[in-house]
Amino acid sequence: MPLNVDRVSAGYGKVVVLHDISIAVGQGEHVGLFGPNGHGKTTLLRAISGLIRPSSGSITFDGAAITTLAPRQIVDRGLVQSPQGNTLFPRMTVLENLTLGAYAGRAWGKRRESLARVFALFPKLAQRQGQLARTLSGGERQMVSVGMALMGAPSLLMLDEPTLGLAPKIKDELAEAISAIAATGVTMLVVDQDIELLLGVCQRLYYIENGRVSLETREGERIDRQQILEMYFGTAQR
Amino acid sequence: MSVDTLVAILVSGFVAGSLYALMASGLSLVWGTLRMFNFAHGTLLMLGAYAAWYFSDSKGLDLGLSVGIPAALILLALGGILLYALLVRPFIARPGADLVVIITTLAGASFLQNAAQEGFGPRYKQLDRVVKGQVEVLNTAIGLQELLIIILTPIVLLLLALFLKRTKLGLAIRAVEQNHDSALLAGVNVGRIYPLIFAVSAVLAALAGIMLGGLFFITPVMGSDPLLRAFIVVVFGGLGSLPGTIVGAYVIGIIEAIAVFVVGLYWAPVVLFIVLILVMILRPTGLMGGKV
Repeated sequence: MPLNVDRVSAGYGKVVVLHDISIAVGQGEHVGLFGPNGHGKTTLLRAISGLIRPSSGSITFDGAAITTLAPRQIVDRGLVQSPQGNTLFPRMTVLENLTLGAYAGRAWGKRRESLARVFALFPKLAQRQGQLARTLSGGERQMVSVGMALMGAPSLLMLDEPTLGLAPKIKDELAEAISAIAATGVTMLVVDQDIELLLGVCQRLYYIENGRVSLETREGERIDRQQILEMYFGTAQR
Repeated sequence: MSVDTLVAILVSGFVAGSLYALMASGLSLVWGTLRMFNFAHGTLLMLGAYAAWYFSDSKGLDLGLSVGIPAALILLALGGILLYALLVRPFIARPGADLVVIITTLAGASFLQNAAQEGFGPRYKQLDRVVKGQVEVLNTAIGLQELLIIILTPIVLLLLALFLKRTKLGLAIRAVEQNHDSALLAGVNVGRIYPLIFAVSAVLAALAGIMLGGLFFITPVMGSDPLLRAFIVVVFGGLGSLPGTIVGAYVIGIIEAIAVFVVGLYWAPVVLFIVLILVMILRPTGLMGGKV
């Protein structure tokens, strides 16, 4: 397993958000996380990326413990996160934002090829490369955010709600790009509210509630819309 | 108003503006990246002047300005890092760190001023001028040293802007400034950016000190007035905005020069604060600041 999160508890100060949560992502696998807002999905990604340190439990990536590593060391190992929403560098151009995505040692040398890949995936960004990030639309910002993560030459790509708050048409555009990224074979961990997107891209899903995995699907197991709605509304708890 | 008065006002305004721009851009960098104010910034100016004097003057090491100035700049770069390591770094992760750092840097400033008084004695010192003599512009004599300051400062600021805009390290500094978490996720070693910021801001302050030390006397408290002006400038120009800070510095310099001419030296600071209060009322984020 490239990524193994083993009984991790974490939070902010005295507030514990994650309670003994365990997830695993296999080589080349695309795994989805979903569940209600404020139940720890983003916190889990932040803990994996090293932005917050778990109070207990361990996280391993490619066989090595990364629980106590600094974010830059984790990024440099190829575990790259595209954070949620408005997390760009607002007073920098699209090109500068993308370039920063390749800041970590390993990715810097490959930044030109990575940039060509990002522009091929999001032609709109090529047109807007000189524009300041704060003047972009929501969809374009999301594209930059995903693009930045790709610039980091990920071997495991984590996307945090890439389609949050987007208009349906833009959402489709991003979903298509995410499928295209998935088709390149990169291992992925995707958080999103849009279950259609997750079903389209992921082989397995974790349902996260109250900082715990309350349900997970096995590979090959079909899960339909109805079941998911029931999970959200609590009528089908096992 | 005669032409020579006008030229004199402009010269003194631009000289002051240059000094304030150097001081305020350092303050602004520290504020932008750490969200903290460095109250020891004025003592960095003072130490820069003393260091240059000590290396260059015949009563010091007598090595001349060509050694004294670079030596002072290098020494102050290290001093800036040391100041960060002693007064900022230990408190950075604590709650209320911004307030704690106001106190630690004020304490550091007080300590360094008294140390300078103790170490260099009470006698006022002055740096040799880099260039001596005057030129006539519109029948008004302008000191070459003043002219050098007016020309050199924009070049230094341009180099600073190019460093921030064009280099990988500059990109990282701006990244930390604009979005701390995203900078971490991009792989920026934020812990190494902070001391770098302090080194850069100390060098800028030292440069201001060296310029000031050639015009006026070097004293342990010579940094206090420029620091106060730099605070006004940073707030006036918009916190954390470098272009705003630089424009603000020259505007404040000119306003002060006019005020000195019209209401005299003692009332000029009052005018500055009135201008600042007006800006705060009309445009609370400063001239070019987006957010506070």
